[in-house]
Amino acid sequence: MSFRSLRNRIVAVFVGLLVLVMAMVLVLVNRSGDQIIDGVIERQLKSGARTFQILLSQNNSQLEIAAKLLASDFAFREAIATGDKPTILSALRNHGNRIRARKMLLVSLDGRVMADTQNPSARPYPFPLPDLLSNAEQSVPVSTIAAMPSEAYQVVVVPVFAPARLAWIVMGFRVDDAWAREFASISGVEVSIVRKDKGGINTLATSLSGELAADLPKAAARLDSSHSELLTLADSHYQSVAEPLDKNVLAILQRQIDQDAAPFRTMQVVLWGILAGGVLFFIVGSFLLARRITHPINRLALAAKRIETGDYSDALAVRSQDEIGELASSFVRMSEGIASREQKILRLAYQDLLTGLFNRTRFLQALEELSEGNPAAIALVDLDRFRHINNALGHGVGDHLLIVVGQRLDAISRGSGLLARLGEDEFAFLLPEHDQNAAWAFAETILEALRKPVEIDDQRLDISASVGIALFPQDGVNASTLLRRAELAVYAAKKHRSGIALAATVEEQPEPEHLSLIGEMREALVRDEFVVHYQPKLDLHSGEVIAVEAVIRWLHPERGLIQPCKFIPFAENTGFIREITPWVLEKVVDQAARWHESGRKLLPSVNISTYDLLSAGLVETVRALASDQKLTPGLCLEITESALMEDPEISLDHLMQLAALGVRLSVDDYGAGQASLAYLKALPIHELKIDRSFIHSLAQSPKDAAIVRSTVALGHALGLTVVAEGVETEADFVWLRQVGADLVQGYWIARPMPASELEIWLDKRQRWAVAAN
Amino acid sequence: MILAPKAWLPLLLACSACATAGSLEVVAATPEGKPIEDFAVVLEAAAPSPTKKTKSAIIQRDREFNPYLTIIQTGTAIEFPNRDPFKHHVYSFSQPKMFEIKLYAGKPAKPVVFDKPGVVALGCNIHDWMEAYVLVVDTPYFGKTGQDGRAHLDNIPEGVYRLRYWHPRLMDELPTRELRMGNENVRLTLKATVPPRPAHNKPPLEGSGY
Ligand SMILES: [Cu+2]
Repeated sequence: MSFRSLRNRIVAVFVGLLVLVMAMVLVLVNRSGDQIIDGVIERQLKSGARTFQILLSQNNSQLEIAAKLLASDFAFREAIATGDKPTILSALRNHGNRIRARKMLLVSLDGRVMADTQNPSARPYPFPLPDLLSNAEQSVPVSTIAAMPSEAYQVVVVPVFAPARLAWIVMGFRVDDAWAREFASISGVEVSIVRKDKGGINTLATSLSGELAADLPKAAARLDSSHSELLTLADSHYQSVAEPLDKNVLAILQRQIDQDAAPFRTMQVVLWGILAGGVLFFIVGSFLLARRITHPINRLALAAKRIETGDYSDALAVRSQDEIGELASSFVRMSEGIASREQKILRLAYQDLLTGLFNRTRFLQALEELSEGNPAAIALVDLDRFRHINNALGHGVGDHLLIVVGQRLDAISRGSGLLARLGEDEFAFLLPEHDQNAAWAFAETILEALRKPVEIDDQRLDISASVGIALFPQDGVNASTLLRRAELAVYAAKKHRSGIALAATVEEQPEPEHLSLIGEMREALVRDEFVVHYQPKLDLHSGEVIAVEAVIRWLHPERGLIQPCKFIPFAENTGFIREITPWVLEKVVDQAARWHESGRKLLPSVNISTYDLLSAGLVETVRALASDQKLTPGLCLEITESALMEDPEISLDHLMQLAALGVRLSVDDYGAGQASLAYLKALPIHELKIDRSFIHSLAQSPKDAAIVRSTVALGHALGLTVVAEGVETEADFVWLRQVGADLVQGYWIARPMPASELEIWLDKRQRWAVAAN
Repeated sequence: MILAPKAWLPLLLACSACATAGSLEVVAATPEGKPIEDFAVVLEAAAPSPTKKTKSAIIQRDREFNPYLTIIQTGTAIEFPNRDPFKHHVYSFSQPKMFEIKLYAGKPAKPVVFDKPGVVALGCNIHDWMEAYVLVVDTPYFGKTGQDGRAHLDNIPEGVYRLRYWHPRLMDELPTRELRMGNENVRLTLKATVPPRPAHNKPPLEGSGY
């Protein structure tokens, strides 16, 4: 029985207390019972002894009266005086018979028995109890119980006066067993008359029966008259007291203890019964009570354990109305609260709050759960021109649009797979059991669902989307690869305006090195591993450096300096460029401001990716810089030709806004793409940068040289500044000056360098210029 | 109880000369010096003594015999006048003179003649405590101690006598001794222990049946 258990402890306390109390009661009852028994016995014995004495004295007075009557009889005295023995005997007999006395003697003054009714013919003989006579001379009359010699008699000695003492009358009752039994029946105690002498104890008369009487002489040997003793006679217990009667004669009065103790023994048995019953009752009762208490507690503990493992399903049935019931209902409320909060947290963790669809986290989780044996497809959906809508009509409309799109996608996703919103306008389906064909078919369903215009606030919005499909496990076995492949496919679909693209058909397979770089970029930004280098742009007209192109560099702690072409494409693909570009802009603008303050007139230019150009964020960022008065030294943004062609509509819109903010716009890598001059003409651009591949082959390819020459002329014709980059030889430099290029940059002039180095370089060059002049 | 003979030493004291007759004075006392009443002192002559027949009386009054002890010469008659307003029943179971005067009032018709020497105990059959003794002696020379314990015997002729002492409450007579009487006055002191008179319950008169 373990005492850690509350139930067992309750039972132990209850039963222990009861046993303690009952044990005390029993001890008390036993002790006081014994005392009471002792007292009762003692009183019985005392009252028995008193009764015995009273009876004795009654007998005595009976004897005495009879003897005195005889002693005062005139005729009797006359008979004594005349020695008339027959008369004396007959008078003695006559008076003795009246009270049934057995012993009747006439004793002369000199102690001789003159007449004996039991032995009438005897000659005078000495009275066997001379002491009795001498006592009688002192006090009249004398009575005692005496042995004469083997029989006991209760005798009285009365003098006969005539008027002087004439003789003694001795009268006695026989003291035998019958006498003792009569006494016993009246006094309530056993009576034994014994003679005690050197030879031991002789029983003269006793009320005890056979065996008991036989044991008496031995048992009574140690008895004295001072106090009562417990004697054992034939297995019975007798409280006994001795009363001296005559010199050697004792009365032993005894009271059997067992008869007085019997009611107490019965009571003790009953008490033991009550104790046993009570203990049993308490064990059962406290066990039930404890179970009533502990059962719900145990259930609560079990429920708590279940909740610990996240199982809230089993509601606790609360029956009792007591404190435990209250505890249980509080517990139920608590677990319900926890469950609902947990669900809310789960919802927040896994749900997209705007559309109510799953979020990116949940989708990635679902991807992680894919198993090799079960092929699946990912369909990534990206709305076309969403940024444009968002910018043009506001975020409210944009959000509304996303909700409607989410609803439409949700409607078709039923039964097909898991739908989640991954990013701004990016949705994704996880389609289990879909092979390439099935996924393609599903993608067409998606496009179909989005083909219908959306009406928001009475506006009809034509929307369209691009879908990229990646297959598991063919295109990748982990979530990030699959998602990236799907994203690349979406871009491809957008790029080719094909609506749907398969990841498998997207050629670009990023080097493994790049994959890990992507993950590190975010940390790099936090750890300040990105730095900005500046490459001077030399004005061929003035020979002065009037501008610098900012290029980002990654000072990787392990790989050293990483060129932008190694990580920028992936920053664009993953959307991380959204964070890099504002950081670069900030950095560059700050640097330009410092140079401006120190008197250096350097126009900084920053490369802008397709992603930046198409997102509203860029315009916002520049607008914020402008309103902070940070654009005083001026700012030039370099945009690739291919970026302009990605979404000409949005590009135009954004470029107009940027131009309005006073930003100088430069078309980078001009000549590589297919930008039509007509289109360029519509753009608010200020500068053309001839693609470096033309400059590199100037010396070898007359055709390229011709293209450069005509591009310079064309640019000038459109009123644009023409910049040549990648100038690596003096010959190229001289040639470009000849054809009329406005600005040059390249290793032959200076490679990109940190701002501090650039300052030193500029100062050194200034001294040369002074020296040359 | 009597003391052993050596306990009492009669002392012969100097006596004044006397011509023809002497006198004897006996003082009886306990060893503690307390006088003893009713001690009989008797002188018996070796030769026959003259008889002086007299009459005596033992009165019953207040349910008592009076006197307690009467000493008489053999042949003396004693009267038993009853002075109480009720009757008495005088008896004697003593050998020298057994008699009985059944319930009577006033003076009985005949006196009782004590014609043998010896001790006669008298009782009343109606009143157990009534007790009297008559010492019958064969000599005219006797006396008894009074409350002061003194007894006087006068006019005792010269001669040799046997001196006897007796008391009702002594079972036995004290040992006798010879005493030569002259013309002088002899004084003797007697030491003895005599038990007190047994305390008979004498109930009060009023309201009683006595
Ligand atoms: Cu009388």
